Amino acid sequence: MSKHNKQEMVVRHKLFDRICHWFIVAVGLVTFLTGFSFFYPSFQWLGAIAGTPQLAKFIHPIAGLMMCLPLMLMLVRYYHHNKWEKHDLAWMLAIKDVMFENEEKIPPIGHYNPGQKVLFRAFVLTSITLTVTGFIMWQPYFAPYFSATVVGWAIVLHAISALIMLMFVMVHFWMATWVEGSITGMLYGKVSKAWCRKHHPLMLDEHSDVEKH
Amino acid sequence: MATQDIIQRSGTSQATPPAQARVGGVKQIAKLFDATKCNGCKACQVACSEWNDLREEVGSFQGTYQNPASLSPECWTLMKYNEIEDQGKLRWQFTHSACMHCADPACLKACSTSGAIIQHANGTVDFDSDKCIGCGYCASACPFDIPKISAVDNKAYKCTMCSDRLAVGLEPSCVKSCTTGALRFGTREDMLFSAEKRVNELKERGFPKAGLYNPEGVGGTGMLMVLHDVTQPETYEMPKDPQIPLSVTLWQDWVKPLGTVGLLATAAVACLHKITVGRNIVEEDQPGYQPPEEEVKQEEEAKK
Repeated sequence: MSKHNKQEMVVRHKLFDRICHWFIVAVGLVTFLTGFSFFYPSFQWLGAIAGTPQLAKFIHPIAGLMMCLPLMLMLVRYYHHNKWEKHDLAWMLAIKDVMFENEEKIPPIGHYNPGQKVLFRAFVLTSITLTVTGFIMWQPYFAPYFSATVVGWAIVLHAISALIMLMFVMVHFWMATWVEGSITGMLYGKVSKAWCRKHHPLMLDEHSDVEKH
Repeated sequence: MATQDIIQRSGTSQATPPAQARVGGVKQIAKLFDATKCNGCKACQVACSEWNDLREEVGSFQGTYQNPASLSPECWTLMKYNEIEDQGKLRWQFTHSACMHCADPACLKACSTSGAIIQHANGTVDFDSDKCIGCGYCASACPFDIPKISAVDNKAYKCTMCSDRLAVGLEPSCVKSCTTGALRFGTREDMLFSAEKRVNELKERGFPKAGLYNPEGVGGTGMLMVLHDVTQPETYEMPKDPQIPLSVTLWQDWVKPLGTVGLLATAAVACLHKITVGRNIVEEDQPGYQPPEEEVKQEEEAKK
């Protein structure tokens, strides 16, 4: 008989990254709700999480920075898992099978699949544009240093970037809740070997540094 | 000012417009500034700060009579001393600089907060400081660079056309104090009539380019200006063809609806997908599980 009598678990997210991730979720929620209160004036109540509309305006840029800076740090820490690889194209072409869970037709993939790598790039781009345009439009501290035209375009870009980021966050949430085991992975750090074999088969081969527990 | 006569309201859906009953019934008002009659006495500027209890901090001399240098949260009307060199001679061109009260206000279109910027039935554009959150969208949208954000309370301020005086049948304080008759106030119809008369007079007196500054790009303005040369409003520090900036139109008329559709579509696809495809569950390894390779190895060993 086998010596294994329980699921073998593998560390997928280190403690620091997990804390980072859930911190970003918390401040991101405040940032997006307050941001929505300015984007959709009729739904100003969405910003009520901050207290008053004036407080929402005061808190939004600070919460936004508290979201973007750790996000950038996390993106730097996760970059090595997100480089494009040869086998990514085959997976991308089989996206239909991935979405409809035709398991036997899904090409094997490593630590992150190409969909997650696209998400990674979207977060890199939007976190940078949101931070830069956010500073340019930040009243009354930084906006007075820029011309009205520059501030005006920063506002549009900020809105577009926020929409793009939110759409990717929605996809991120959708995938995380669909692929069960992902959320416990991000909460407690570990996923089972069976989970890896199903969703990221090459992760076990490629990363010999994966710690066993 | 009465809240019953609000005809345009920032951050309000077109599906639920503010009360429209008085539109057309209430006469549009206008302030007429005749630059050819202005002598730069600054009575309007002082009257504005008196009536509105504004005191801009005393600055330093910058080589011009224009003081302060620009409009500010504490200066809603500014006499601009534009220095023009013409045939080797220096000349002042005065501009009574204050809110233009556009018929189609860019500030109102850009505002992030429901009802913080409103337009009254008589055409005046007013800020509700109590609702203002200080996002500054109005300041960057205004083609005339009028609204200013206060560093003290982070709210936007500008000329109200003395809406409090108008409500009780008085004219704006700047008009009341004008020493030369360069500022006049009345119904828009009357002001347009007077302006036309004055422009014709100026043309007869040797100013062929004299004309009325009432830019169409913002739907016309509640402050009309008679200029001695309307082909060069820049010499009065007024924009030649003011418009609602493209960035504001793009953002409010395109990014918002398309973005909303995008968000809802993403949510809809996600929900449909989860319902149709169902859960994506891993069959966890049962006790005693061995990876296939190891099983094969063990079988081979057993055969030996």
